[in-house]
Amino acid sequence: MMEKLKLGVFELTDCGGCALNMLFLYERLFDLLEFYEIEEFHMATSLDGGTHYDVALVTGTVSTRRDLNLLKDVRNRSDYLIALGTCATHGSVQASVEMPIREKLKAVYGDGGNPMGALDSKPVVEYVAVDFALPGCPYDKEEVYQALIDIAKGVEPVRKDYPVCLECKLNEYECVLVKKGLPCLGPITYGGCNAVCLRSGLGCIGCRGPLPGEVNPAGEYEVLKSLGYDEEYILRKFKTFSRWEP
Amino acid sequence: MIIETREFTRVEGNGKAEVVIEDDEVKDVRLKIIEGPRFFELLTLGRHYRDVPDLEARICAICYLAHSVASVIGIERAFGVEVPEEVSLLRELGLIGEFLESHSLHLYLLVAPDLFGYPDAIRMASRHGELVREGLAIKAFGNRLRVLVGGREIHGINVKPGGFGRYPTVEELERIERESEALLRLAKRSVRLFARLQPYGARAGHFVATDGYLWGERLISDEGGKFHYTERIEERSPVYSFAKQSHYMGETFLVGALPRLLLKSSMLTPTARRLFEEHGEKLETGYVSYNNLAQAIELVYSIERAKEIARRLLDRGIEGENVPVEPREGEGIGYVEAPRGVLIHHYRMDASGNVTYSNIITPTALNHAMIEASLLTEARGLYGETDEGEMVKRLEETVRAFDPCISCSVHLVNL
Ligand code: SF4
Ligand code: SF4
Repeated sequence: MMEKLKLGVFELTDCGGCALNMLFLYERLFDLLEFYEIEEFHMATSLDGGTHYDVALVTGTVSTRRDLNLLKDVRNRSDYLIALGTCATHGSVQASVEMPIREKLKAVYGDGGNPMGALDSKPVVEYVAVDFALPGCPYDKEEVYQALIDIAKGVEPVRKDYPVCLECKLNEYECVLVKKGLPCLGPITYGGCNAVCLRSGLGCIGCRGPLPGEVNPAGEYEVLKSLGYDEEYILRKFKTFSRWEP
Repeated sequence: MIIETREFTRVEGNGKAEVVIEDDEVKDVRLKIIEGPRFFELLTLGRHYRDVPDLEARICAICYLAHSVASVIGIERAFGVEVPEEVSLLRELGLIGEFLESHSLHLYLLVAPDLFGYPDAIRMASRHGELVREGLAIKAFGNRLRVLVGGREIHGINVKPGGFGRYPTVEELERIERESEALLRLAKRSVRLFARLQPYGARAGHFVATDGYLWGERLISDEGGKFHYTERIEERSPVYSFAKQSHYMGETFLVGALPRLLLKSSMLTPTARRLFEEHGEKLETGYVSYNNLAQAIELVYSIERAKEIARRLLDRGIEGENVPVEPREGEGIGYVEAPRGVLIHHYRMDASGNVTYSNIITPTALNHAMIEASLLTEARGLYGETDEGEMVKRLEETVRAFDPCISCSVHLVNL
């Protein structure tokens, strides 16, 4: 039998969703364990962790000094590091609070200074080089499954390069932007979720971050403007999950 | 001397504890929530009400729907919106899905390894595979309810003020009715398993819950009477933690499955009530380790109730109409029972429907002082009696009994 790859799952500051989503693989998690040995995964195991990881999954934003130290340490001890989820790739919601950390702390905790080393939330990709970035708040679990299988087989996982809008059309959902005038970010958001929110007839809120390349945020802005949404509303919506772009 | 535990494992989020020893006695225990702050109240400030529930969902993945629903109720109360029975029943169904998903994760994957002496459920599965799979089956069912009501397993955006983006179909509801029938047996078995737990931790000074089983207009406690959180609960910020601590009229208190059963057993479904009565003596002692037993009984409640709701909706038919929501200046509080206990979303809105004030208090923040008190009791009993490694392990189990959600606990504000 081939030797199993050593896998670590590390959580920085986040909602826990991207770590939890691994457990939602259910039986497929056991399939992954044919290829991988879980060395560290705080949410799921009390094992103490190894010294070296073939693959490390890092979720969350760097929001404290502890997060930063952990991230650097994991980077040094792993061969292949995946920034997993929109927190890790774009900063997600907590990074969109645009105040300096001192002011934020003061507003929430009062005048205690910063004894625990809080930092302004930034995505993992701002601090270290990553081998693969998989966005989504949370990411689609099929994608992480496929990426881990690819890596185990020595194949480089593929990044999606089309918007949510395309998946919406393929599913033949009604366009909520045109038909209902809802603010939908589908045209400019990374595809890969199978346009799941459009199934509910609701506009995409952009949780997978902006698709770089040919897409046209300026065009999207104009469309929303013509639908009557004001500038501040639109800009905040654009930046909610992606104040930091990789 | 200070004994520091490593970061807790098999809990949600990042935290650890320090045991302060002076003159060979345990003087104090500090629970340190080291997860970074996420500033949710600042995030929602100034935002339009329609976007708020989806943002608040991101506070926590395990109980995202409780956050969405609390947020939606807070917003509706601020605007004076009333929703019909159909919408309420569906919200309840979603919250029940969350109870199932969260409790089964906690009991089968996080606590059961302690009962059998394994570091995790994956290793435990080699000897107790059937048990792990039973837990996963309940969890998957819970998640299907979350998808149905919330739109996705995690962070769905289907729950809106006034109703839903999409309503379930007759076939989907029939399937839920059938599946719940089959799962009830598994849930009953879990009660027997978790009834084996020993008492540990501290006994709470008080118990607090919402006045309805899954949400309410006000809070209730063991002292009687209904109240708003501002009347009896007080928050403080310790310097060593990103989470605040709360006290009930100056004393420690507990929220969660155990307080729900103790304060609201009359609202349980028939089988759950029988099980509650069977184990009532243990539960009444109020030790936090029995919170796990209470969660197992709630698995039974949730499955029975899911079936009742599906039937009720099928009998009355789904109309799928949302109630119109007209923003106006106002203030509203949403009290919801998240799986881990009372969750509070409090908002003030301006006339165009933007948030001007927001305060969110999560179950783990409410339990924070109680967790510390339990650690102190345990550390006092264990120090000198067992070696340090064993003590640290038992402390970790004590924290786990609360099913803490550390990610949730780190953002509270009074602006
Ligand atoms: S990306 Fe979203 S789901 Fe993942 S950890 Fe961050 S907030 Fe949670
Ligand atoms: S449709 Fe948009 S908001 Fe919904 S999951 Fe996909 S990217 Fe996220």
